Amino acid sequence: MTISVENLETRQVDPTKPLLEVDRLVMHYKIKAGEVSAVEDVTFTVHQGEAVGLVGESGCGKTSVALSLMRLLPNNAEYVSGQIRLDGEDLLQLTDEEMRTRRWKDIAMVFQGAMNSWNPVYRVGDQIREVLDTHFRGQMTYEQQREHMERLFAAVGLPGEMLDRYPHEFSGGMRQRAVIAMALACSPQLIIADEPTTALDVIVQDQILKELKRIQTELGMSIIYISHDIAVIAEVTDSLGVMYAGKLVEYGPTTEVFARPKHPYAYLLLKSTPSITGPRRQLAPLEGEPPDLLAPPTGCRFHPRCPFATERCAIEEPPLADIGGGHRVACWHWEQVPDLEEALLR
Amino acid sequence: MTVSPVRTKPLLEIRDLKKHFPISRGLFRRPTEFVHAVDGISFEIAPGESLGLVGESGCGKSTTGRMLVKLMEPTDGTIVFRDGEYEKDVAHIGRSEVKEFRSRVQMIFQDPYESMNPRRTIFDTVSEPLAVQHVGTVQEREERVLELLRMVGLTPPENFLFRYPHELSGGQRQRVAIARALVMNPRFVVADEPTSMLDVSIRISIMELMTKLARELGVSYLYITHDLAVARYMCDRIAVMYLGKIVEIGPTEEVLARPRHPYTRALLSAVPVPDPTYRRTPVEIKGGISKAINPAPECRFIERCPFAAEVCRTNPHPPLEDKGDNHAVACYRADEIAS
Repeated sequence: MTISVENLETRQVDPTKPLLEVDRLVMHYKIKAGEVSAVEDVTFTVHQGEAVGLVGESGCGKTSVALSLMRLLPNNAEYVSGQIRLDGEDLLQLTDEEMRTRRWKDIAMVFQGAMNSWNPVYRVGDQIREVLDTHFRGQMTYEQQREHMERLFAAVGLPGEMLDRYPHEFSGGMRQRAVIAMALACSPQLIIADEPTTALDVIVQDQILKELKRIQTELGMSIIYISHDIAVIAEVTDSLGVMYAGKLVEYGPTTEVFARPKHPYAYLLLKSTPSITGPRRQLAPLEGEPPDLLAPPTGCRFHPRCPFATERCAIEEPPLADIGGGHRVACWHWEQVPDLEEALLR
Repeated sequence: MTVSPVRTKPLLEIRDLKKHFPISRGLFRRPTEFVHAVDGISFEIAPGESLGLVGESGCGKSTTGRMLVKLMEPTDGTIVFRDGEYEKDVAHIGRSEVKEFRSRVQMIFQDPYESMNPRRTIFDTVSEPLAVQHVGTVQEREERVLELLRMVGLTPPENFLFRYPHELSGGQRQRVAIARALVMNPRFVVADEPTSMLDVSIRISIMELMTKLARELGVSYLYITHDLAVARYMCDRIAVMYLGKIVEIGPTEEVLARPRHPYTRALLSAVPVPDPTYRRTPVEIKGGISKAINPAPECRFIERCPFAAEVCRTNPHPPLEDKGDNHAVACYRADEIAS
């Protein structure tokens, strides 16, 4: 199987130009018991051609951020404030109808669990055709659509005949490839990949991630990877944001954040990931459980579990402050972090 | 910490263990096809040792684990289990003996949400093995449960005794599962992906807890996982499975540093590393595991192997051969590949 993106539309990339700006986004879910503060004051920028990762544990708000960007939130969600600007235009100001024309065409999403992304009773090709019908109504003949879909499948390493198959006839890895092909169907500027390889075995995961990376680079797309798997994020992203309890607690160039994590939570998360290489380090467990977002802690949301917390942390919320080189940290005590190694890794 | 399996008499001695599942093709037809889920594997586990069983989904690692605790009947082979005076081939014991055997072994499952009855309290759940085996009075059982809850870090234990699973977080539930597994003081525990559903920070504390308890109580583990990095932290030795066969087995650091089977090499080079500056060696094989339905006699890995040669095509599946330092490989070309 050869992979080619030759026949797909490529884009010129200016890596200094912002494509997506998430600006002080606040999003809450309303439930019977109250308001869940799921995304709180999240700000970051995705540049043209850039791969950004969002990591954090279950319930930290990373998938909520993704769904917010797609405006695919459930009915009980409410955008409280903030902007999501794509090429300067605020997506939150668009009508539902306008947003529908942007989805897939400007922003596409690769969902978690490829099994559930497909309708089991339709052929995979027909489901991709539906996306093309929505966005290029009357602009493409049936044969042109077929040709385009075969190019998409070739780009993700699937034979064209597979278009005539049903989802259950695909293996897990092939299904995930098909999901990526569908995301590429309208040549979006931005792809959001939410745990794109979580259910796959490592060898298949490795292939999918490599191909996704290659397609993204060659087509000049930007991508947001959302994952709980820190090792995956380390390998595929240029910039990285660490989320905790609905907040972005650290953001910066991936190599910089990995080399010098400054937020105590980010530090623990990154340094306690088991690895098959390097010395077998003592891993640092994090005590306690993430907070209940119906009533998040005052001040810094991490303070009840933080070994460095002081009185100030319980009262005042630290801003996500730039500490140089695009590295931003939301912690009052980030400068103490050189001592972290000693304090945390015993 | 590494326990050499040769010095002491092994706790478990598994010989030529097999599990074949028939594929039914209609009501009255006799099955002619079998999935060779586990196809003749042999290994030993020393007292206090933790053996990791790694491989991709469908390689037979969970089936192996289930057979070792008699949740599944083997098709063939022997499982000799020794615990003090007790020495039996548990692959061939009757129903009456299974209950006695089960008081000595336990299992921890992957999903802490599914492995517990939602309508039973933590006390009921943890004390169930005691009740089944008729151990102690209710009061003694309660004391034992309290002791265990404390041991697994659910403190104060009184607060957890009469709570229900849905009131606990995933990490807390897995602690309850560990307490339940240890309540009978077993010699041997099969842990099937016990941390793969948990978040990173919780995962570390459960891993630490399991290691600590194993050391203190002298429990042996068969630790089943797809995650080689986790196996590195939990296991003294690891065995790599591929399509029902063990293709490589040896001390953990030795296998990770010097993998000798082409499959192990591929598996290791595919594992992402949490360091953005690290460059992995490219994976030499394609993904997608083949199916183990009536497999051909030659090496199981032959279709995907970049080193397959004449010797591999004309001979049966290679036996596990010790290459020194307790590191054994099932590959005809292991020596050539290593150099």
